[in-house]
Amino acid sequence: MKPYEWMVKPTPQTEWIDGRGILFWIAFFFIELGAAMFLVSSLFGNLFGELIGWLLCAVLGGGFHLVYLGHPLRFYRMILRPQTSWISRGLLFVSGFLVLGLVHIALSLWTASTLVLLIVTNVLAFLAIIYGGFAMSYIRGIPLWNSALLPVLYTVAGLWGGAELSAVVELQSGGPGGNAMLEDLIKILLAAFIVVFPTYLITARYGLSAGKTSVSEIVKGKWWPFFWVGVIVLGIALPMGVIIASFVVGISGIPLALLYLSVAFELIGDLMLRYLILKAGYYNPLVPMPGP
Amino acid sequence: MPRWGMVINLQKCVGCYACVLACKQEHFLPPGIFWGRVVVGETGQRAAVTKAAYPVLCNHCEDAACVKVCPTGATVQREDGIVTVDYDKCAGCRYCVLACPYQQRTYYADSKKEYFPGQGLTPLEKIGKELYPLQEGSVLKCNFCIERIDSGLKKGLVPGVDREATPACVIACPAKARYFGDLNDANSEVTLLIKEKKASQFHPEFGTDPSVYYILR
Repeated sequence: MKPYEWMVKPTPQTEWIDGRGILFWIAFFFIELGAAMFLVSSLFGNLFGELIGWLLCAVLGGGFHLVYLGHPLRFYRMILRPQTSWISRGLLFVSGFLVLGLVHIALSLWTASTLVLLIVTNVLAFLAIIYGGFAMSYIRGIPLWNSALLPVLYTVAGLWGGAELSAVVELQSGGPGGNAMLEDLIKILLAAFIVVFPTYLITARYGLSAGKTSVSEIVKGKWWPFFWVGVIVLGIALPMGVIIASFVVGISGIPLALLYLSVAFELIGDLMLRYLILKAGYYNPLVPMPGP
Repeated sequence: MPRWGMVINLQKCVGCYACVLACKQEHFLPPGIFWGRVVVGETGQRAAVTKAAYPVLCNHCEDAACVKVCPTGATVQREDGIVTVDYDKCAGCRYCVLACPYQQRTYYADSKKEYFPGQGLTPLEKIGKELYPLQEGSVLKCNFCIERIDSGLKKGLVPGVDREATPACVIACPAKARYFGDLNDANSEVTLLIKEKKASQFHPEFGTDPSVYYILR
């Protein structure tokens, strides 16, 4: 961007996607994916899935978050403003989920966990899933993010990814039953995503000027391959094709490799979606151009 | 209690960047970091070019978004309305950089940058690192020259009236396009100018109640 275009034209945010900002993108993805995988796995009593979800959230999500910070050793200070800051709230939710989740997993391995502990952990896991969307939607200067639909989109995308990963673990471990319900959950989440995602883009498109720029950049700008190939084809069309095929031949009739591939594509689509939303976060132009 | 504020007269601003340089010098700001800027818009071609300069800086909003989103409490608002960053508390999450709808915050990513790359720090840069220790990995922003205001008040001076207690950008402006003073004082120069010239805040729709007002062209 040329100096004279700054603030005069829609200006892209860079802090949460360029340079070290790329770590933030990955951190958000794994926190939501891990927490969602824990949540869904616990609903179907799959302890191994819970453990994998916990690890994804703690090691990759938390790790990338820490590395992203300018002063990682000061991370403990970030819980001091939960009354107004979504980052503070998020850290509290994630920390609470990780601590209680670990206790729950440990108790389940050696003795037996309690239902109350599991419920509280799952509530915190759900809050960990939704906080990223709320943190972004609070930012008023970026119309693409300042949308009530963004937290919904991120929650649906996170839960869908978590459910898909839980299904993989179920398939691997033989599953303690409940596979049909998990398949139904995945179908519902896919349907929800197909409704929420275009609605989100359409509402952003018809908002302020920077919102139009953001959506144009996503759909037909320089990142169009990420959108059309990454999100639409890999992330939605292929998993949807597998689900439609499962209606015809049943889930057992679909080759295992294709199921795994479908999950991998869904996760790539989710990752691309989050990348695009961060990358296309444009501020509205603040300084009006003088008339001709 | 005063609420410090600024009025910028766009009719007088000539876009000379003196305010930008005065600010950089006052705070020993490293390369690429600006607490005040002049945004220049230009339309038309050749003989019919219209140019407009908009000096921008932190608005020290009454209802500042950056203060709300800061998770560590590093960004705080004083009773006199000045929004400051405590570099010792900032964790460098950059949520405030994004939350500021006026894009007036900068993340200090590289303290090793030199004004003359490869030639080492100039004596001025070396002094600056001692006198004004900005921390790499923290977020920086305009502080309304808080040290000038505070030391001036201790000496009984009036910010906006006495040079020693007035922000550097206001003093440096050769066109006298900038005014500084107490927005809570009905008789201060800034309050009278806001009333008389119908000065307005920059994008009031963000709802943050900025302390910087503009007299439009």
